Amino acid sequence: MFEQILLNGIFSSCTYCLVALGLTLIMGVMDIADFAQGALYMLSAFLAFLAAKFLGINFLFSICIAIIVASFVGIINNIVVYQPAMKRGASSLIAALGVLLIIQNLALLVFGPAYQSFPLSFAQEKVKIFNGIITVYKGIIILTTCVVVFAIWIFLKKSKIGKAIRAVSQNPEGATVVGIGRGRVSNFTFGIGTALVGLTGALVSPIYAFDVFFGSEIVVKGFAISITGGLGSILGTIVSALIIGIGENLIAGYFSTEYSNLITFVVLLLALFFRPQGIFGRKEI
Amino acid sequence: MILFRNKIFWVSLAIALSIILPLIIKKPYIHHMLVLIGINIIVVLSLDMILGHVGLVSLGHAGFMGIGGYTCALLVMNWKFPFLLGLFGGMLTSSAFGLLIGYPSLRLKGHYFVIITFIMGIVLTLFFTNLVSITNGPMGLPNIPSAKIKVGDILFINFNTKIKYYYLILTFIFIVIYIKHRFYYSRMGRGLLAIREDEDLGKSIGINTHLLKVIAFVISTAFTGMAGGLFAHYVKSIAPDSFTFIPSFYFFVMNLVGGSGTILGPIIGSSLLTTTDELSQLYFQPAWARILFGVFLIVFIIYVPMGIMGLVKKLFSKEKYE
Repeated sequence: MFEQILLNGIFSSCTYCLVALGLTLIMGVMDIADFAQGALYMLSAFLAFLAAKFLGINFLFSICIAIIVASFVGIINNIVVYQPAMKRGASSLIAALGVLLIIQNLALLVFGPAYQSFPLSFAQEKVKIFNGIITVYKGIIILTTCVVVFAIWIFLKKSKIGKAIRAVSQNPEGATVVGIGRGRVSNFTFGIGTALVGLTGALVSPIYAFDVFFGSEIVVKGFAISITGGLGSILGTIVSALIIGIGENLIAGYFSTEYSNLITFVVLLLALFFRPQGIFGRKEI
Repeated sequence: MILFRNKIFWVSLAIALSIILPLIIKKPYIHHMLVLIGINIIVVLSLDMILGHVGLVSLGHAGFMGIGGYTCALLVMNWKFPFLLGLFGGMLTSSAFGLLIGYPSLRLKGHYFVIITFIMGIVLTLFFTNLVSITNGPMGLPNIPSAKIKVGDILFINFNTKIKYYYLILTFIFIVIYIKHRFYYSRMGRGLLAIREDEDLGKSIGINTHLLKVIAFVISTAFTGMAGGLFAHYVKSIAPDSFTFIPSFYFFVMNLVGGSGTILGPIIGSSLLTTTDELSQLYFQPAWARILFGVFLIVFIIYVPMGIMGLVKKLFSKEKYE
């Protein structure tokens, strides 16, 4: 029982971690709480589903299509909505909620209100690890998460644009002084952030049934995780994703499924009141 | 022409119009819409106490409305409270929750307060849905009795028709506007204005900014709770669906579009957007209205942050000085 809950918890932590990582990059660099990512998560789940089911494309390629479209929409959002909003000193969070509303309802008109789901034809074998059972596909997602998170970490540490992203997130004015263009960095960050969210949406589309309001919940959790972990901190994101993912499954397993969502909010509130800069964060709030 | 510049003339004209309006137009559907607009006006007016006066965005107000609605309905149904006392109970519970949530979270700045209110709204919906023994869960509370006001043997009114309920709501709107007006021009209101313009500067001249913000938040949630009670007794059955984050969000859009920090702004905003929403449910799919709301929101927050009232004021001030 406990091993099973732990495995499920690790799996949900992985999906949360990917989404939270995308959000924390964007929030750290741009100071935008981009709730519209929830819509992009849903959009990429739908795209992967449609491409795989109706166009008959290989699932791997349909994930790629979903990622590309999601990051394209994310960058367009940044250019059309967030940049003008920031320039005029308007609240980008509110603008993001507007974008969320628009994309969700457009999707409602296009895709309809029904729940969708499609079974995968491969990687459905069950594997026994200790006393828990998990499908190969979920195992693949966990491995992918590890690889992607490591890649992002290396990218931020070593590559030139990664260093630029970190510079802007630590001190925007200072970065501008030394000649780092904020516009280009912001577009790049948005591209990577939304690609992460899109990847997650596409990856989980064969597992959960989803409708057009699919992403709202995970994006709220993602924010809770990125704030709890400390903005811009990859280690913090991983740790708080594990806390919330496993805690949620523990509550659902031993107590009640209805209140399993509550752990997110409890953890977030505790973090905000006792350590507002996050578990591993440095920035004062 | 001096008549048109006179504020009292315009105010009394507006009051007279709001009293006669349902008597001229006799369609029940219009009456229904007027009542809904009225309830939304109360919520948006109280939301404006936070947004307009202090400059804080709250995205959880539908949750407080739900607290007020559920409390009022339960008090009236299970404990046989009179309507007005139930309404007061709803206000009290809602403001107690406002204090509980506002006191710690109003210390946070920027995005974080917004995110907290947003999340609190979701948590409250979660409780409405899952505390089945109290709220009857997702099925909601059915058969809420119509509002009755009884004062001894002298006065007994049963607000069972739409027109009667409209006048009840109108009375409450006037009360809220009066309180808001007095609040705005009080010492406390000026303190809040100082916080909106520059919080640190306000602190430096000895304003207890945190206390003032908490007071404003509590008053705002109290009136939102009252609106919830009024809503519950009008629609006669409430479910958690009415109090999710989507209505919270609408209230915010209404306030923004109308113009924050004014009395007329919330009224214009709620009338405009509630009408749009209702009409779209009648003639198109509601999704189109939501898309329109989103577009409104983005355009207004970027290009017209002062809302329609801000535009009007700009227009009038130009006439004066040029």
